[in-house]
Amino acid sequence: MENNILSCEHVSMKFGGLVALNDISLNVVKSSITGLIGPNGAGKTTMFNVVTCNLKPTMGKVIFEGKDITGYKPYKIVPIGMARTFQNIRLFENLTVLENIMIGFANKVKYKLFEPILKTPRFLKQEKETKNKAYELLEKINLKEKAHLKATGLSYGEQRKVEIARALATSPKLLLLDEPAAGMNPNEKIALMYFIKEIKDSFNLTVFLIEHDMKFVMGICQKIYVLDYGAKIAEGTPEEIQKNPKVISAYLGEANVKS
Amino acid sequence: MNRNVILTIFSIILLFVFLYYASHHFSKYTIIILNNIAITMILAVSYNLINGITGQFSLAPNGFAAVGAYTAALLSLTPAQKQAMFIIDPIMPILGSIHLPFLPALIVAGLVTAFFGFILGFPVFRTRGDYLAIVTLGFGIVIDIVANNAITITNGPLGLKGISNYTNVWWSYGWLVFTIFVVMSIINSSYGRAMKAIRDDEDAAIAMGINTFKMKMIAFIVGAFFQGVAGGLLAHLITTISPTLFTFFLTFNLLVIIVMGGLGSITGTVISTIVIVWGSELLRVFDQPMHIFNFTTPGIPGLRMIIFSLLLIFTMLFAREGIMGKKEFSWEWLFSVIKGGKKNGK
Repeated sequence: MENNILSCEHVSMKFGGLVALNDISLNVVKSSITGLIGPNGAGKTTMFNVVTCNLKPTMGKVIFEGKDITGYKPYKIVPIGMARTFQNIRLFENLTVLENIMIGFANKVKYKLFEPILKTPRFLKQEKETKNKAYELLEKINLKEKAHLKATGLSYGEQRKVEIARALATSPKLLLLDEPAAGMNPNEKIALMYFIKEIKDSFNLTVFLIEHDMKFVMGICQKIYVLDYGAKIAEGTPEEIQKNPKVISAYLGEANVKS
Repeated sequence: MNRNVILTIFSIILLFVFLYYASHHFSKYTIIILNNIAITMILAVSYNLINGITGQFSLAPNGFAAVGAYTAALLSLTPAQKQAMFIIDPIMPILGSIHLPFLPALIVAGLVTAFFGFILGFPVFRTRGDYLAIVTLGFGIVIDIVANNAITITNGPLGLKGISNYTNVWWSYGWLVFTIFVVMSIINSSYGRAMKAIRDDEDAAIAMGINTFKMKMIAFIVGAFFQGVAGGLLAHLITTISPTLFTFFLTFNLLVIIVMGGLGSITGTVISTIVIVWGSELLRVFDQPMHIFNFTTPGIPGLRMIIFSLLLIFTMLFAREGIMGKKEFSWEWLFSVIKGGKKNGK
């Protein structure tokens, strides 16, 4: 148990009569890459929203580093070390790449509202630090020369990278990625796979991701949970999942299992 | 960095030299328009902070300006004046005896308005969506009704008269420079970036750990403070205030200004305030009878508004995001334009 950075205990989520999640328990082991897969409408994103406190589960608990965070305000999970990205990239469109990254550092800023007006030394120092750190981060993802472009001026793959970098700016312990490979071609997917592995090691992260693409998940995750119709149908290593008849039937239909 | 500070200070000094010249050589009519520009600009710049920068659609400025104007006026009028003015019902005893100099009166007006902003914002910003527009629209109407009926405080539809004419170009432009300085300082800090983040994508802003409620409250309350001050300045410029002065039309005018200048651009707001306030004075010729060659057109009151609408339509056609979009003026930009111009010249 000590090794789990995140654990969900018997989480259920009901919207009126619809049971979106039914008694789901899962653990994310520290410095692992864990995946959550399932067909459309399985409840993956609902699970993510529960974990990130955007939804309060009807039953069950979400525990992050031994602390019960169920019912936290969603912005409060960032200071304790969780950061997320979105399924459809959600950068701040009217801001530059640099400003996008700088917003990631927002919760580390300590100065008060009157300080920018009086231009106190603390304000000037922290602004400079934030800018330098943002440049450093951009250098690490090889986008420094595009710092002053508008976020929407980048290619899709680059935007995805910026979004992940923006999440990294909050210095998370656990990075939650919602379908990071959605809408990418095979080459971009492979590049992204290496990118995620690379940042996981260099930033000392734990990664928890939702994905549709089986190949991607199998190539990157150490442990996989499978959801179908709001219930957990399997968990295990990629090899175990690939052989699991329940998973195959959920993805391909009953008929394919027997053959 | 240093060069820019020097240039900014220099241009502010230049502005005040111009104002010194203006106050001695220009006609009284022009001076009033200059004051009007400054006060409208304070209202518009602070309005842009919540509408353009933070992206929360508020319709509060007329209510806020009314609160500020009445507060400042009641504080700066002498007890004897107030006694004489309240003929329907006597003034509330506490208000009747208070008397403050101009600057404290303005600051108190700002603080009272900010407090109203707090009361309005606190419940509204707990929800998401367009509730702010509805609540602030209602606020303006409530203030109008209160001003008409709370006779012991506002003197009802008779309004307040004989307010000392304290507002001159120094007061109005002093406050204008201060407003722009404060608003720009907030925009160019972590607070401003958080506000812009909320405008662009609230969910993503939350995921970055931004306390969106707090940021919206800050933008709204800071805006309310300056709108209250602007209301106070206005009261001491025209010396007579009544509920009819602060109808929704005031908010509508400001909305036109900030949209035309570019939502989210303070530079744009400054430019479009000058264009619209000065322009609507210049266009007054169209309201009077005109002699074109041998024809004499009859004076049609309101013709200038039609021409004005045409101008607005053209702005919408050719500058979708307003004059400045979301860009701001910077000295770097100016220098690059000058250098670019020289290169082209060669």
